Amino acid sequence: MIFILVAQTLVNGIQIGAMYGLIAVGLSLTFGVMKILNVAHGEFLMVGGYIAFWLFTLYDIDPLWGLPLIAIALFLLGAAFYQLLFSGLTKFHEEIKMKNTLLVAFGLFLIFPQIARWLWTADERAITPMYSGESFPILGIQCGYVPLCGLVMAVVVILGLHLLLTKTYFGKSVRGTTENWKSAKLMGINVERTYLITFALGAALAGLAGVLVGMTQTVTPDMGMPWTIKALIVLVLAGIGSVGGAFFAGIILGVVESVSAIFMGPYTVALGMGIFLLILMFRPQGLFGKA
Amino acid sequence: MLEVNNIDVYHGDLQALWNVCLEVNEGELVSLIGANGAGKTTIVESISGLLTPASGSVVFNGMRLDKEPTHKVVELGICLVPEGKGIFSGMSVLENLELGSFQKKSRKVKSETLEFVYELFPILKDRTRQVAGTLSGGEQQMLAIGRGLMSKPKLLMLDEPSLGLAPLIVKTIFEVIKQINKSGVGILLVEQNVRAALELSKRAYIIENGRIVQHGDAKGLLSDDQVKDSYLGTGSV
Repeated sequence: MIFILVAQTLVNGIQIGAMYGLIAVGLSLTFGVMKILNVAHGEFLMVGGYIAFWLFTLYDIDPLWGLPLIAIALFLLGAAFYQLLFSGLTKFHEEIKMKNTLLVAFGLFLIFPQIARWLWTADERAITPMYSGESFPILGIQCGYVPLCGLVMAVVVILGLHLLLTKTYFGKSVRGTTENWKSAKLMGINVERTYLITFALGAALAGLAGVLVGMTQTVTPDMGMPWTIKALIVLVLAGIGSVGGAFFAGIILGVVESVSAIFMGPYTVALGMGIFLLILMFRPQGLFGKA
Repeated sequence: MLEVNNIDVYHGDLQALWNVCLEVNEGELVSLIGANGAGKTTIVESISGLLTPASGSVVFNGMRLDKEPTHKVVELGICLVPEGKGIFSGMSVLENLELGSFQKKSRKVKSETLEFVYELFPILKDRTRQVAGTLSGGEQQMLAIGRGLMSKPKLLMLDEPSLGLAPLIVKTIFEVIKQINKSGVGILLVEQNVRAALELSKRAYIIENGRIVQHGDAKGLLSDDQVKDSYLGTGSV
């Protein structure tokens, strides 16, 4: 009995954690490459969730089939917002850039929920295809189809991203820009374009995570900031600059939360913040970051 | 090949260059010498498009460069190896070199250029998988120069390649610079190591407080009394 409880908790934790990882990877990418802390990351997640909701209720498109569509839509949305609001700020000195982009992103966080309330009302929405509540037993543990799909998707996306960053010329240019944007420019890399694509990619990752959140929990206009904060906790836990690290840190947080939920109930949210503070105090470079 | 005509360059409100003119012909080795803070780096950064001159022009093979972004300048065939090397220290040696040939044109001939770079710096071939940040200072400079060559430049600008390196390694690096130049690449060498630079190059420009104060044949400058006095420490006192 105790084995089943532990195993079930672990499985739940890993599934939730994969979602955390997916969200954090997008945030890590934009922060690592262009030193923009996009506090509106969760807003892109919300938009992804609502688009999936629309596709499902209006056009009867299964959210999992809708994933590529949503990724493309969020990529374009991210690119448009970057071009419109952020691109003019990247030429400034690092500190000014950080502050101003933070303000712009914060502005987006204030505006997006209002627009969402107007478009989709304040009601909680959930994406519930037929198989959404179903699960199958494995070794006495119940494994839901939707969380399992989410886990598989997250792993596939993260692996894809890893291959993109290590094997392709574009990916190498992204890493080069992260390390030293001036040298990247001198190598003939169009750093502005790299920034644009990276930001858009971050938004697309958030959108994909939004679909998973919509399928396992609910979509509401105000969901953005809590998810941004969750992603920030994971980011601090992982340290900047490692895609795999952010993903594993996400899983660690997911498992820790599920385990502690048994003992602490609703106080698990505070646990996340506690971890955040402890890591900042004792290991500011994160678990997987370089000192 | 490269003409810099009367450029004025500012860092914010501060004027760093006054009316600077210089010229590098095809396949020529020209050095730019001067003290710390004289404006040497500002000149090469203006040519490569990291800085934009407020007035004047930069012309390369008939094309105006001074309003073009850096990646365009690289595409046209000018590459700057920055001061302090600027290598991507978390990436492997090979990845650094690969990023050097990021431009489509240079990507096509990547493997041949790589052979050429390995011939110049055999040590890089032994270290392809090593993380660049773990190389020694001299090796990092070799990597930076090799990475610059990967773009197949017509003009290679080297900003203080001898900075902080042991004399023996400086000698090797200067030897390679000579070899690169012999292969037909024009070189604009920025140096504080005035004697070595003058012995290596054909012509030289001397810059002081943001102005070109002297230029001419390198051999002539080596025996010039004023140059001896200010830069070589062998003038009559």
